[in-house]
Amino acid sequence: MSFLELKNITKRYGPLTAVGDVSLSVEKGEFVSLLGPSGCGKTTTLQMIAGFVEPSAGTIRLDGRDITRAKANSRGLGIVFQSYALFPHMTVFDNVSFGLEMQRVPKGERKPRVEEALSLVHLSPYAKRYPRELSGGQRQRVALARALVIRPPVLLLDEPLSNLDAKLREAMQFELREIQRKVGTTTVMVTHDQAEAFSISDRVVVMEAGRITQIDQPYRIYEHPETEFISRFVGKTNLLPGKVVTATGAGATVSLAGIAVPVEAAGLSVGETVTLCIRPEKLHLTVPADGLLTGRVADRFFLGSQWLYHIDGPLGTLMVVTANDGSTPAEPGATVGLEWSPSVVRVHRGAMAEAPDVALEVTG
Amino acid sequence: MTRNGPVALIFHTAVVIFMLAPLAIVCLVAFTPENTLSLPTNGFSLRWFDAVFHHPDFVQSFWNSLWLAVLSATLAVVLAVPASLAITRWEFPGRGFLNALFLSPLIIPHLVLGVAMLRLFAIVGATGSFGWLVAAHIVIVTPYVMRLLIAAISGFDRSVEQAAFSLGASEATVFRRVTLPMILPGVTGGWLIAFINSFDELTMSIFITSPSTVTLPVRMYMYATESIDPMMAAVSALIIGITAVAVLLLDRVYGLDRILVGQH
Repeated sequence: MSFLELKNITKRYGPLTAVGDVSLSVEKGEFVSLLGPSGCGKTTTLQMIAGFVEPSAGTIRLDGRDITRAKANSRGLGIVFQSYALFPHMTVFDNVSFGLEMQRVPKGERKPRVEEALSLVHLSPYAKRYPRELSGGQRQRVALARALVIRPPVLLLDEPLSNLDAKLREAMQFELREIQRKVGTTTVMVTHDQAEAFSISDRVVVMEAGRITQIDQPYRIYEHPETEFISRFVGKTNLLPGKVVTATGAGATVSLAGIAVPVEAAGLSVGETVTLCIRPEKLHLTVPADGLLTGRVADRFFLGSQWLYHIDGPLGTLMVVTANDGSTPAEPGATVGLEWSPSVVRVHRGAMAEAPDVALEVTG
Repeated sequence: MTRNGPVALIFHTAVVIFMLAPLAIVCLVAFTPENTLSLPTNGFSLRWFDAVFHHPDFVQSFWNSLWLAVLSATLAVVLAVPASLAITRWEFPGRGFLNALFLSPLIIPHLVLGVAMLRLFAIVGATGSFGWLVAAHIVIVTPYVMRLLIAAISGFDRSVEQAAFSLGASEATVFRRVTLPMILPGVTGGWLIAFINSFDELTMSIFITSPSTVTLPVRMYMYATESIDPMMAAVSALIIGITAVAVLLLDRVYGLDRILVGQH
């Protein structure tokens, strides 16, 4: 049995189902992220684990013990809130010490444990300061130390990094992971930021409209999204509507606006409507004669380590990302060829959910 | 920081003078050796201050007012904290009605309240009771406390309380260690305003005080209707002085910003 187990967890508010039938098993020491757009139920799920929201149905088990109806203050979980939720009238030391005091840890034992927690997050010199005297990143660390000092079986992180600026967020991502590895606490994080979820999680749980749509390792989610929603929500993607024209055992040919494209997908039948999904970095620019398609560079954007091109062609506008490896980039207005390997094309059955021009917008 | 233009400066100066001049003049007049409220005076004397302290009625009334204000402000806070928490945080039937009820004394003239209370006191046989006077004052000062507390509680990040819960604190502990300290600016600010309002109250108190419970404003009013002499000015100067010292002490010890603005 898993360490933390959610079984058919449901939360209804009147006629509205915020979380529907969510089941999830988290192993001891694992770092799992709940990823999804706002309103997908990820925060409600976290609050049910924390005990702030009572599930309408389902059970939550922690280390074999049923905690579904247990009060939040008896669960002993460590929680880091989006707003950090530090006690503004207490010093950093007292903030961290609060949990130990509540657990009736003897005074003599509290001090070394608080100091240990503060040194873990590199805040030892700030013990006497008040939260208002700290920067956003430092407050974040205090919140983390306060949650970890009680040695919780599970650490819950609610959008822990979303209030930090981009540079600091990236640094904190790695630090968070390092600290989590060091203390080995089982962690569940809620985030809407896929880069954050991917870079620090062992597994990512993608949620959509109150339900789990995919649970997988970050790389698998990016390369093999199970639904069109995931491929659109996670990273940038080109979505192309087409129709299957030939189908053999493990492969098929899909017609996109009259152009035949080979794909590797089993079980398709001739005449079926499908949506192809190709990541922009899997498309390569070539001289026009060598490409599967030709198009014109409509625009290009410099992203530092990469170039992002918008290529107008027979399939509409496609996004192409190439590494900035020092070679001369294609000029706007130039005619280029596009090629890709059939193995990078993902096929989703059925028509696209939205109009193609909307779907081609950059998401995530 | 933008600098004020000359017109704004003149306007600000005029406002400050307009507000401070009566206080300054009352204080000056209090030191006159004359028998009338005269300015300019031809000397300096403490005889009217001496007169106040040898006037047992005034001393008695001062203590009455002080006790009345302390008790009604404190009890109003005790009443308003749970009421404000309930009204701001929970949806329950009659919430709007309760909110309006608590705030209604603000819009009812004190004259009307005075007459109503007089009648009520007569019916319950409480005429002259200090306890009932306190109750009447609680009615009129509670709305002020409620307003400040509701403002303080509305801006409260509930996840701070959730954090305390998750660390194992009981509900009572969360209130004592987290909620109360965080709304303390609202509580102390509310208490101060309630105290001042109660200490100052004249219109309603005229109707419901008895000879043994006469408050300082009522005593001053009664005295002034009979005779005008500089003793009135001396009493006023004393009140101004006590208030100023109290505010200064509070600022030194605790910081007025922290109490009234809540700079965490």
